[in-house]
Amino acid sequence: MNKNLRTFLSLFSALLVFAVAFGFRTHAANNLTIDFDEDDYLRAGQEFAHLIRTDNWFGFLETNYRPEHPQLAKIMFGLSVIGLPEEPLIADLPITANPARNLPPDLLAAARKMSAIWGALTAMLLALINPLGGLILAMHSFTIKYTSQVMLDGFASLMSTSTALMYYFSKGKNGKSKTALLAASAIFLGVSASSKYLHSAVGFAILIDWFLSAKEANEIRRFFRITILWGLLSLIAFFVFNPFYWPNPLERIQVTYEAVSATTTNPNVVKANLPIWQPLVHLSSSVPWFWNEEGFLFRVDGIIFIFALFGLADTWRKNRFVAIWLFVDIFILLAWRTKWAQYILVATAPLAFVAAEGVKATGRNIAEWWRTRHQRGKEAVKPSRKETMRALPWLIPGLIAFAVLTIFPLLFQFAVSLIDLNSSTLRDGFQGGIWREFWGGITGQVKASDFVQDGKVHFVGLGVYLYISNMVGAMGLPFFNTMWTILSVTLQTVLGIGAALLLWQRGIKFRKGWQALFILPWAIPEAIGAMLWLNIFIPLWGWLSLAEQKFGATMPLGVFTNWERSQNSALVVLLIAALWYGFPFMMLAASAGLKLLPQEVFDAASIDGATPWQAFRYVAWPLLMPLVMPAIIIRAIFAFNQFYLFQMFNFINEDFNMYTFARLSYIAVYDWRWFTGSAIINIITILFLAVFIFLFNRWSKAGEGVTYA
Amino acid sequence: MHKMKPFDQILSQLALTLIGLYVIIPIWGILRLAFDGALKGRPTEFHWFPKEFSVQPFLSVLDRPYQSISFTVLLQNSLLISTGAALAAVVFGMSLAYAFARFRFPGRRGGLYLTLLTAILPPIAFTTPLYLLLSWMQIRTTLLGLVIVYAAFAMPFCVWNLRAAFQAIPKELQEAAFLDGAGDFASFWRIILPLATPSIAVAALIAFLMAYSEFTIGWLFVEKAETVTLAMSIYAILTSGAAQPWSQIGSLAILMSAPVVVIFLIFQRTLLERMMFGTSSE
Repeated sequence: MNKNLRTFLSLFSALLVFAVAFGFRTHAANNLTIDFDEDDYLRAGQEFAHLIRTDNWFGFLETNYRPEHPQLAKIMFGLSVIGLPEEPLIADLPITANPARNLPPDLLAAARKMSAIWGALTAMLLALINPLGGLILAMHSFTIKYTSQVMLDGFASLMSTSTALMYYFSKGKNGKSKTALLAASAIFLGVSASSKYLHSAVGFAILIDWFLSAKEANEIRRFFRITILWGLLSLIAFFVFNPFYWPNPLERIQVTYEAVSATTTNPNVVKANLPIWQPLVHLSSSVPWFWNEEGFLFRVDGIIFIFALFGLADTWRKNRFVAIWLFVDIFILLAWRTKWAQYILVATAPLAFVAAEGVKATGRNIAEWWRTRHQRGKEAVKPSRKETMRALPWLIPGLIAFAVLTIFPLLFQFAVSLIDLNSSTLRDGFQGGIWREFWGGITGQVKASDFVQDGKVHFVGLGVYLYISNMVGAMGLPFFNTMWTILSVTLQTVLGIGAALLLWQRGIKFRKGWQALFILPWAIPEAIGAMLWLNIFIPLWGWLSLAEQKFGATMPLGVFTNWERSQNSALVVLLIAALWYGFPFMMLAASAGLKLLPQEVFDAASIDGATPWQAFRYVAWPLLMPLVMPAIIIRAIFAFNQFYLFQMFNFINEDFNMYTFARLSYIAVYDWRWFTGSAIINIITILFLAVFIFLFNRWSKAGEGVTYA
Repeated sequence: MHKMKPFDQILSQLALTLIGLYVIIPIWGILRLAFDGALKGRPTEFHWFPKEFSVQPFLSVLDRPYQSISFTVLLQNSLLISTGAALAAVVFGMSLAYAFARFRFPGRRGGLYLTLLTAILPPIAFTTPLYLLLSWMQIRTTLLGLVIVYAAFAMPFCVWNLRAAFQAIPKELQEAAFLDGAGDFASFWRIILPLATPSIAVAALIAFLMAYSEFTIGWLFVEKAETVTLAMSIYAILTSGAAQPWSQIGSLAILMSAPVVVIFLIFQRTLLERMMFGTSSE
């Protein structure tokens, strides 16, 4: 393609993205209710606007309302209201105060509009290197929200995205233009930090990528020389754009530090008690409906996150820096103590880029699948009429039972998911209401209604799906359930293979005894196993708690007391129980696999001087992997569906808020008698697992073992 | 064969001891309660061993563990429901599995994916609709209702598993029978069935254990104490408020799981293979 045309198209699409992004943000700015902190930053803006109006330039050295954040983004809000008539300062409330009821409308509108411009510009910038990514960022509901309210993240993420972009462009350049772009990235980095500290994360990502590139080019020494200058430049930029630090940098660092510590430990943060992984919950779900937020035309953050997962591999290959950018941002979000949703804007720009790569990869896969459809048809074995007749006597009884016991309930469940069935409508439902509304609804005779409380069943349509996916997403369920699966299966695999290897050593004593002992947890029914651990961990009278009363909190394992007060430690406790229950199965599978491995291979390896680790990593593991893989998959499905463990720990207290899909669905039936909700959660589970089967059948060689066995 | 170096041996034994402690501690935690005659409600003091060693908790559990229902009734319910569910799941599952394993018919591939999908669903995915359907048919709170529920849980697994078992039997054996003039039924009855009996037994055992040890979901299908199973009664005692007799909970749990543990120890290799859906070919 012609180079000029390309440039034109690229600019045109970037402008288009700007228009789309600005449209969404304006809509949100006009409709969103006032959020926490908007009064604070608007007040800070008022202060700066006042300083400018009165030509009090020295005031900049002393003014920084809410000093836990740097000045620049607040100064920008000052600029946004500078043309408006001055209003009395917004009240100075404690940081934990509820969102303001009303703020001066014209100031709020002006500041929000400026936020929206920054947000739209960020999407446009991203569109310059990845148009689809820019569009995705334009559509991301959390990004829309915090770039159309008076929040610092809009300007800060514009600056950090500019930083990344300058570095990104510099990678393909040489000579002077490279130097200029790198200098620009350093300056933007300083500006990012002086907008909101956390947004300087991009700097670390640049350093890592830079280091890796330097290492590949054997220029490590040069790398250190240049990056020191680069870092100095960004520090200077930070200092220049932060007059608050000028009078006495050390003292002001102290002020900032104290303010930051105060915010990270303020009562709201403590009360919210959000787990370490909360940023990933925010990233993987849209703005919740129960925040009562109007202003979004659609909410697709969850889908964007899934595409980002698909796009990681491609991004790593083609644009390593962007992948590193995303990883570093997420790492910093996980490490940072405050977990409020606006912080994720640190990471949404690279997330949108990676998601765009995921969309492209998925598109390619679908096209490939479509192209090869004829070929696949030929390869498939044709059913024969004769055999079909012969199969019938077996097929019919089994099929009837299978249909009655499993298929029909699943179909029936789908019908239930489209109507509002709960304890008050159950009677009408059984008197024909279920069929009436379901059939009427899908044939279009009955219009989908919102929840009407007249004791009758009503068709509610797919709207409830959206509502529940959003609720479940905001609870963090899809993310937590997946994380739970990965963590528990990884631990089980490591301990299982470890135990198998220990017992596999030649000449190990008591092998049989140990093996019999280790199998026990596998043989104990899961619910009983969960009860055994409950008996240890339950507060007040569990074994651990009693031990603490006797020996004091300084005893070994004393760290686990009060574990139920935070989700982080609750996760650790649940993992301990799940590991106990699951590792024996992995050990048995690994032992069975190890027996098949020829001993000679290891003798050869040890003669060649391989260390035990090398022998495992390069000899045993590749041979063992295909044998252990089916066990890993089975444990993964089991962990994904884990129910008894979570339900049993319910006895801790009523608000025990750790769920898997299975437990939430059970609670929807058992505690709430909300059959529609339970049915929809089940259908979401089924879709999840169907995708799982599809992926694993496509990508895993072990899959062949299962489907074609 | 060379022997392990003493240092490696000690190190390995140390690691194994740690794992062993991890395995044994929760079990010991319940044993110490189950044999404690002095404990009436929840434990109140830390002890390594039962304060007053006694088999009294076991005796009272064997008498009337739950409300006024005797142990025999609970056990009877458990056996009845589990056997019924296992039989239904295996007999019907077997017929479908055989059709999938031996014949080519339209929709076979799709059907296979469907059975695989149903086999990996959590039981709760079937529970909600079955709760409604069985309520509708007014058999939700009967023993038959529980049989149906547990059979539905176990059947997809049985289909998937038995298909693998049937497929592992060489076709040539059957073809020889066809040459001798045997029909489909005769060859199934005389050749396939005897060869697959161990696999079928194991599938039935797993289906049985699924129902036998299930202890929470069943409560959705129970109204009267007379239809409660052994496992469910543990859950009931656990939820019975502050005065939970933990020594009885413990002894009931031990009584209930001891036979399962024995079965697992005896059949560990076969069970492992079956639970891996017959994928670990040896």
